[in-house]
Amino acid sequence: MTPPLTYAAVAVFAPVAAALVLAVLYPLRKKGMPAAVLTIASSSAAFVSAVLLFIDRLQGAPPELATVPWIQSGSKVLADVGLRVDGASASMLVVVTLVALMVQVFSLGYMHDEEPPAFGRYFAYHALFLFSMNVLVIAPNLLQLFAGWELVGVTSYLLIGFYFKKPSAARAAVKAFWVTKFADMGLLFGLLVLYVASGSFGWDAHLEPATATLVTLLFFFAVVGKSAQFPLHVWLPDAMEGPTPVSALLHAATMVAAGVYLVVRANPLFEQSEFTRTVMLYLGAGTALFAALLALVQTDIKKVLAYSTCSQLGYMVSALGAGSMVGGFWHLTTHAFFKALLFLAAGSAIHAVHSNEIGDMGGLLKKMPLTGGAFIIGSLALAGFPGFSGFFSKDMVLEAVEHAGKVPFALLVATAFLTAFYMGRVVFVAFFGAPSARAAHAHEPPWSMRLPLVVLATLSVFGGAFTTPFAALQGEEVHFHLTGGAALASLFGFAGIGLAFFTYGRGPRHEAPGAVAFVERMSNSHAVNRFYEVLFHRVALVVSDALAWTDRYIVDGLINAVGYGALEAGRRARPLQTGLVPDYVLAAVIGVLGLAFWSASS
Amino acid sequence: MESIPFGLAALVTLFSALRVVRSPNLVHAALWLGLALLGTAALFAVLGASFLAGVQVLLYIGGVMTLTLVGIMITRRHDGLNVPAESIGHVRAGVVSVALFAVLAWAISATPGLDAAPLGPDATTQDIGHALVGTHVLAFEVVSMLLLAAMLGAIVIARRKDPAPHAVTHLHVPATAVREAAE
Amino acid sequence: MTLSSCLVLASALFSIGIYGLLTRRQAIAVLLSVELMANAANLVFASFGHFRGGPTGQTFALFAVALTVAEVAVGLALVILFYRSHGDTQVDLARELRQ
Repeated sequence: MTPPLTYAAVAVFAPVAAALVLAVLYPLRKKGMPAAVLTIASSSAAFVSAVLLFIDRLQGAPPELATVPWIQSGSKVLADVGLRVDGASASMLVVVTLVALMVQVFSLGYMHDEEPPAFGRYFAYHALFLFSMNVLVIAPNLLQLFAGWELVGVTSYLLIGFYFKKPSAARAAVKAFWVTKFADMGLLFGLLVLYVASGSFGWDAHLEPATATLVTLLFFFAVVGKSAQFPLHVWLPDAMEGPTPVSALLHAATMVAAGVYLVVRANPLFEQSEFTRTVMLYLGAGTALFAALLALVQTDIKKVLAYSTCSQLGYMVSALGAGSMVGGFWHLTTHAFFKALLFLAAGSAIHAVHSNEIGDMGGLLKKMPLTGGAFIIGSLALAGFPGFSGFFSKDMVLEAVEHAGKVPFALLVATAFLTAFYMGRVVFVAFFGAPSARAAHAHEPPWSMRLPLVVLATLSVFGGAFTTPFAALQGEEVHFHLTGGAALASLFGFAGIGLAFFTYGRGPRHEAPGAVAFVERMSNSHAVNRFYEVLFHRVALVVSDALAWTDRYIVDGLINAVGYGALEAGRRARPLQTGLVPDYVLAAVIGVLGLAFWSASS
Repeated sequence: MESIPFGLAALVTLFSALRVVRSPNLVHAALWLGLALLGTAALFAVLGASFLAGVQVLLYIGGVMTLTLVGIMITRRHDGLNVPAESIGHVRAGVVSVALFAVLAWAISATPGLDAAPLGPDATTQDIGHALVGTHVLAFEVVSMLLLAAMLGAIVIARRKDPAPHAVTHLHVPATAVREAAE
Repeated sequence: MTLSSCLVLASALFSIGIYGLLTRRQAIAVLLSVELMANAANLVFASFGHFRGGPTGQTFALFAVALTVAEVAVGLALVILFYRSHGDTQVDLARELRQ
């Protein structure tokens, strides 16, 4: 195996080896810390391999493949399983392993108060998750990607529901699983149609326009679920029940990004369907605005960040819809870094004040300068402040969308304004001003929690420099230049920060301005949830009840009837066997009669 | 011209046959069989099979019928010649036999070429003799073996085993008891 | 007198024999019916022998007679045996196969 493939292999197999060891050796898990050490070691190995792979790929060699036949029918191979190293998988692998490693290190401090067995279980799940994600990233075909996708769904269920004894957490995990599983049907059916139409699960098939549209729309349905776009975004806010590091990993950087990655991977297919791309463009932009509005009115810091993630994913989706695969992918990358940073910094704040509410924070910058600084850096990157990494990726997105449609572009610019505003709101309320009672005793967290903040903050600041190499890896030549769209968005961003300062930055919290209150009442985030609730109870349960009845009474009934019928037939036929000779003679004679008749008539 | 004897013999045979199967008295039934066999012999004669007719009378009437009568005597409780013979299931039997006759008659009538005149002269006894030891000698030998086997078989089946089963227990008496009884 | 009329006669005799076979309750009576049926068969042989010429018809009829005689002998022996074990020759008494 060539070096690049070896790196990829290590990235995949190190975590799963750790996970298997932890699964089998319960004592390791029970002790807690050994599990953490093992997981972090394997993640480090994966990260180092990913970086080496990335550097290797920068040389510009063609993609490499290492596969073994997986599904065979007779002598025909239907699908392979294995590794594929190219620009896209190498980039994504770095992102995933880096964020995972940072989150795991952070968790050493954050989850410190957990019981050792739970601590061990936590890290075992992390190892499993990283493996699942890597399987998805280096998949050589869409079928293996789907396998990784499903694995990610399962492991994220385990992680979100980590505090399974808390009813709301358990429900949130189930909800996340249900909604994404429902959406996954799109991926499954899309794969089926793809296979029937093209005979393989590869993404470079050339399809008829109608088929391409069908397949990509089905895929996009799965993306809507996984990447929490409207209307399947409902699971993401609830998923904040999981530990904050988990939120940083799953819902900032990796799991939700898997949907975007799917589109990146299947880009050749998506290029063949204008219709799907248009849908993506509008839905993405719409979700971006919608989620930003909802982020405005949240008081739970994690929920703000959750809706923010939805919103930024909307940016990525509409960039992809506008035809800029690189733009969407690069935004995914920068977003991974600064959103993870935001979540971890928020986690540090939460850990200090023992509450998620921004109302319980205040003046934290003074008490926790590192955390505060990290959060501010993350916010600036998110808002696309010039110079930060987010600025560069947002610029690519906006440039693409501007040429694709005026309406989506307008929506995205408005979202930029709102993004700056709601992040400003959080910054000013939580990190400036007078501390609340709870925040009085806040202090910086241990080094395990500070280190990841520093690493991610650095990347958020200087990541923009990687724009050109990143794009080159994806096969495109991009040189940054300031576009009108980006400038416009930056202006709106400044305006947003300014408004936030006016509203929240001066002294004690003012009453929410009229606009915000109006939005609060209007954007009933519960409406979508209620809709699904009704749908589930009135439709899904009814259908499943009907099917269960059919299965029990009709399908089983048929089988039972066959058995019963056989018994009855036997019972009725018994009297024929009288045991009396004359009756048998009669039977014989009747047989002769029949024989005579038959031979006479032929 | 042969039709008259044929018709007569046929009538006699048929009538006797009916009496065989319907007569309530077993001995009468056997006797009616005798008449039916005689009628058949007459038919054989009309058909030019004189040797066969003779054999029929000798073996069937003389042998089989006699044997049957003896059998009746041995195996039935009776007083004198009044041997009752029950029968049931007339309707279904009637239906089946009539149906069978209908099918056979229909098959016969549907077969062409059955109304031709005799193709050749009737075989003489000499011809039959030649056939028996000539063309059909194997069958001839086999049948004789069969007759022997049947005879032996009948003897073996029907013989009384002595001692009779319920008397066997006496043999299990210990030797001492026998000696005691002898003293 | 034609071949077909002979055959029809034989069929009638045979059917009568069948009727007796199905109806009668006494073993010996059943044997009598069987006799009738055998005779009908012999009649068929003789008829064909007359209308087709050659000794074959009568020869086979002779064989049939021999066979029938043997059959009656063995049959009667069986009836005697049956009488001894069942006390009567009613066909219904052969119930050993009945549940």
